[in-house]
Amino acid sequence: MRRTTCRKAFSPGSIRRWVIAFVAVMPLLPSAAGAVTQSCDPVEDSGRIAAAGGSITEIIYLLGEQERLVAVDTTSVFPPEAMQRFPSLGYVRNLSAEGLVAMSPTLILGEEDMGPDEVLTQLGRLGVTSVRLAEDPSAAGIIEKVRCVAGIIGKAPLAQAKIDADLQSKLTALDALPTPDRPARVALLLGIRDGVPLAAGSGTSGDGLLRMVRAQNVFADVSGWKPVSMESMAAMQPDIIVVPNRGANAEGGVEGFAAHPAIRLTPAAQRGRIIAMDGMAILGFGPRTLDAALTLSRRIDGALNAASDGD
Amino acid sequence: MASSIGDALSPAVRAVWWTPARRLQGLWVALLAIAAAALAIGAVAIPLFSLIDGSASLLQRTLFTEIRLPRVLLAGVAGAGLGLAGAALQGLFRNPLADPGLIGVSGGAAVGAIAMIVFGSAVALPESFSFYAMPIAAVTGASLATGFLLVFSRVFGHFSVVTMLLVGVALNALATVVIGAFQYLSDDAQLRTLTFWMMGSFGRATWPALWPALMLMVLSAAVLLRKSRALDLLQLGESEARALGIDTVRLKWQVVLCAATVVGAGVALSGIVAFVGLVVPHLVRLFIGANHSLVLPGSTLLGAALAICADLVARTVVVPAELPVGLVTSAIGAPFFLYLIARVRPV
Repeated sequence: MRRTTCRKAFSPGSIRRWVIAFVAVMPLLPSAAGAVTQSCDPVEDSGRIAAAGGSITEIIYLLGEQERLVAVDTTSVFPPEAMQRFPSLGYVRNLSAEGLVAMSPTLILGEEDMGPDEVLTQLGRLGVTSVRLAEDPSAAGIIEKVRCVAGIIGKAPLAQAKIDADLQSKLTALDALPTPDRPARVALLLGIRDGVPLAAGSGTSGDGLLRMVRAQNVFADVSGWKPVSMESMAAMQPDIIVVPNRGANAEGGVEGFAAHPAIRLTPAAQRGRIIAMDGMAILGFGPRTLDAALTLSRRIDGALNAASDGD
Repeated sequence: MASSIGDALSPAVRAVWWTPARRLQGLWVALLAIAAAALAIGAVAIPLFSLIDGSASLLQRTLFTEIRLPRVLLAGVAGAGLGLAGAALQGLFRNPLADPGLIGVSGGAAVGAIAMIVFGSAVALPESFSFYAMPIAAVTGASLATGFLLVFSRVFGHFSVVTMLLVGVALNALATVVIGAFQYLSDDAQLRTLTFWMMGSFGRATWPALWPALMLMVLSAAVLLRKSRALDLLQLGESEARALGIDTVRLKWQVVLCAATVVGAGVALSGIVAFVGLVVPHLVRLFIGANHSLVLPGSTLLGAALAICADLVARTVVVPAELPVGLVTSAIGAPFFLYLIARVRPV
């Protein structure tokens, strides 16, 4: 008898009935409410902020409002005090709903890649406001982000003062960089992963940085962060390679990085034009990325000039 | 747990009172206790009594119903599904190493789900359907992998342990290749979602996403749990089982599809959680009994208990962040399994 029941439950007609019943109830089931906003308007209560993103923590410190922070994520490495002082939310893409609630924040401020979305939905149901900031990896985008964070926490005039006193001049300096006839061919690599370089293609923060310094990204044809083969590294002939310190140190410093088989054959390695910089400073797109871009621009000029003197 | 109570009893009492049925009941009690503990413990203090007598704040109440309850439920059903599928597949293939993770079923589910993460946004699905897309894609992937195993085993007649493991290695390698290709195609945001999803977490449980998976899992689990006698007979050999009136072809496909469904629907929501499907049925065989009428329900209960327990650890040790739960299940499961192998003679 048991077997007949099973057979019935699996006969084609009954499967069809199950599917029809299933599809019929689908729209009746509850769906998730959109909990995340993306506006720069002041929120009701920004007294206790959980910051999910290095640039956001940096901006809150810039505004001198760090007393409002209750927790920061693992990309909040600047200023160094932030990580020591506040509990860690973990990685910005992998937040924990209940862990966040335990910090009783009134506002969760996150970068565009904050997630997972399901966790933000859960938080929305608990009445915690989350605001996701739009990502625009450019100098103007950084200033806009400062304005937006300040607007959300009700400090717009202070932000304007900071921008007028300091940031605007850096933006002007970056805008004033000449666009060379033949821009430097630059590859921005995160480091060597599994034996092959991981390069910044279009749409990445790395590509944004290279645009800021008027360099030509040799990997602009690929989109996203992509592993590139040794041969295409050599074929692209980058004059200069920019790499975060961490990526270079993993290969034993700049010399070790330059000697890696995938890097060795490039003009950049052969002429000693590998520039290692603080990764979060150049790719975090907080206020200090403006300084980092100016520094990078100078170092690119320096490297090219030094090399042409030597030629 | 069951063993320590059993060992403490005198042999006579053990034979008469501590029967397999009572051990199963003990497992029920343990599961309920663990579930209650998991509901009571977390980053935010919620005394369970305050929920009953109404003194809990609105936040505590909502947190309990919207976050903790679906999370514990997902951990429970996903763990139960892995345990049950592990037990059923071990019985079906007459092979003690048939773990959904080892033989490529979880890998197949992962391929299906990842395909949906990467390409799902390209196919404009109506919003109410989007919660069904992931489980259905994962179940399809898992079914394809299990079906392939079954067809392969038909060609070879019967699987030796070694053949099955080798085919599993090949299937997992194939899954890795496809996942790698998807990773290459995905954009930055999708890539990061993928990476964390691969590590496994029960933290994404929301009611709307939970219902469809739950329905699929309960339905298939109900079918699997009824197969205990048929699986027992199958242990005698395929022709013997046929002679005793079992339609082995039908049985195989039912078990394969249902096991793939319980694993796939779970994987779609939680990502890959290792080790539950392998360890749990063995523990049940050691401490409760080897009949499938005991192994199947026992593995379901113990799988749920183990997963809830692992999730409890994952979400409470590094508050306010959390660990990937797959890390915890492997860290608990692997050494415990080794200890068992060393201490207890396999039954």
